[in-house]
Amino acid sequence: MSSLSVTSLNKSYGHVHAVVDVSFEVARGDVFALLGPNGAGKTTTIEILEGFLKRDSGDVRVLGVDPGVHANQRWLRSRVGVVLQELAVESFFTVRQVLERNAGFYPEPRAVDEVIELVGLRDKADVKVKKLSGGQQRRLDIGLGIVGNPLLLFLDEPTTGLDPAARRMTWELIRTLSQQGTTVMLSSHYMDEVEALACHVVVLSKGRIAASGTPSSLGGRDLGKVAISFSIPPGISVTDLPVAPSGCQGQRIEISTDCELEVLSRLTSWALVKDIQLVGLSVTRQTLEDVYLGLTRESLASSDGPRS
Amino acid sequence: MSVITPPRKDHTRTSDLRLVLHQVRYEQKAFWINKVGALFTIGFSVLFLVMLGATNGKQTISYLGNITNDDYYVPGFIAYGIMSACFSMLTVNIVVRRETGLLKRLRLTPLPTWALLVSIFISTAIVAVAQVVVLLLIGRFGYAVPFPREWLAFLFVIVVGIASFTAMGMAISSVIPNQETAGPVTSVAFFVLLFLSGLWFPLQASSGLAKFSNFFPVRHLLLAVRAPFEQQPGVSPWAWHDLGIVVAWGIVAAVVAMRRFRWSPHRN
Repeated sequence: MSSLSVTSLNKSYGHVHAVVDVSFEVARGDVFALLGPNGAGKTTTIEILEGFLKRDSGDVRVLGVDPGVHANQRWLRSRVGVVLQELAVESFFTVRQVLERNAGFYPEPRAVDEVIELVGLRDKADVKVKKLSGGQQRRLDIGLGIVGNPLLLFLDEPTTGLDPAARRMTWELIRTLSQQGTTVMLSSHYMDEVEALACHVVVLSKGRIAASGTPSSLGGRDLGKVAISFSIPPGISVTDLPVAPSGCQGQRIEISTDCELEVLSRLTSWALVKDIQLVGLSVTRQTLEDVYLGLTRESLASSDGPRS
Repeated sequence: MSVITPPRKDHTRTSDLRLVLHQVRYEQKAFWINKVGALFTIGFSVLFLVMLGATNGKQTISYLGNITNDDYYVPGFIAYGIMSACFSMLTVNIVVRRETGLLKRLRLTPLPTWALLVSIFISTAIVAVAQVVVLLLIGRFGYAVPFPREWLAFLFVIVVGIASFTAMGMAISSVIPNQETAGPVTSVAFFVLLFLSGLWFPLQASSGLAKFSNFFPVRHLLLAVRAPFEQQPGVSPWAWHDLGIVVAWGIVAAVVAMRRFRWSPHRN
């Protein structure tokens, strides 16, 4: 059974179609990313999954049950963790007090010490929340999301405002949770984060699914052209190259190709024979960000929708 | 994935009771952790009683059957204590928690709405009762004001007062849009009503001010709390008329609160 299953979901606010015919499935333990610019229908979709918004039509199953049915909500909230942005924590409590308070709401909570360890706040366990830095508060947010031992975790931009080290730690935590069988639904504006964590991505644009797939194949990314670039030493002319370049800026050469293996082979053999250094040689595909921007460009012009 | 077969219900009456007690414990912790706030809330009524008692406590009030000012102030500040805990303190508490997102965060957890509201109610009642006890003792031993003649009537008034004014606090908090105005709005409204209702200066029942403030619940709670203290024979300790008006306000407020209660800050 999937952790999340959405079929033909629709939701409108008056005349505005916030979500149109959206369907996706998320298997247990997967990290799933829902992307899209503000106003694309992300928050609406997530709030429907969390049971805070009523859908107009379509079928939604969260851990096998319908979140739109009031009687299911308490059961669901015992098993679903939600990490939102910009929600205060009682500033006068310590990290441990807040976690212990919230742990008491759940039927099978995770041990508070384990949570403190997982989010890396061991040194801060008995410090008041108001004394925490922004990044530490963000980690406490995540701690509060996982203290109930959730089967499914909604993470809304979990690393916004974190320094690089804390960001990597959060990634590790998300991977650990996923390995332990927690399904994670991620929303993020950082494409490197999505690429590092998600096994499945859905991009929403104007309420519809614009693309869906693995981060490496999204939008035909795995099949598109590859850019090979390098610099040639002085004295070597562009015309000496065994392959025709698609562009050059001074000594910097760029070759765009579909058959990167053949091009690289000819290029490197040539360089080895002639004993020439190809300085700064790099082989890059279109980045996830390029694909994402391409997919959502159209809606960027009109990105002031009613909700994000 | 047999792990996720939904039983739909995994809480029992015992676990629900434990849940409420758990939340009450943290509501209380939150109240007492802010020592200045706690002292201010509890101490204000005591301070007023002591100051007024020291100023003109032994003077008698001719139009109230020649009771002393102390006899008048003790029940008055007991009523004040209930109203400050259940009305002004609660209102600000709810608005601040709502507007900063604390309530919304609680809503993400399995803590049911009813359990949160019951916990807040119990916690507020504890603060109110603590004040009542302190004031009764100070009145009895500091100013020789006798305990209520009719304890049952007194307890009944306290319960009705706490319940009704909690409902009013919840109702008012639901119409205040932001935390910056919550404090000033409630304390100004509250103190004006207290003043007009004769907390500091006893009113003659026939005065225009009394007739005006009779419209509001504050004066009726003052009168209802004083009734069980009446030592004159023939005066009923049960002020049914006043109690009825307080309850009526409470019911209307409860309806408003239930309809308008919201979890999320207005900014969203």
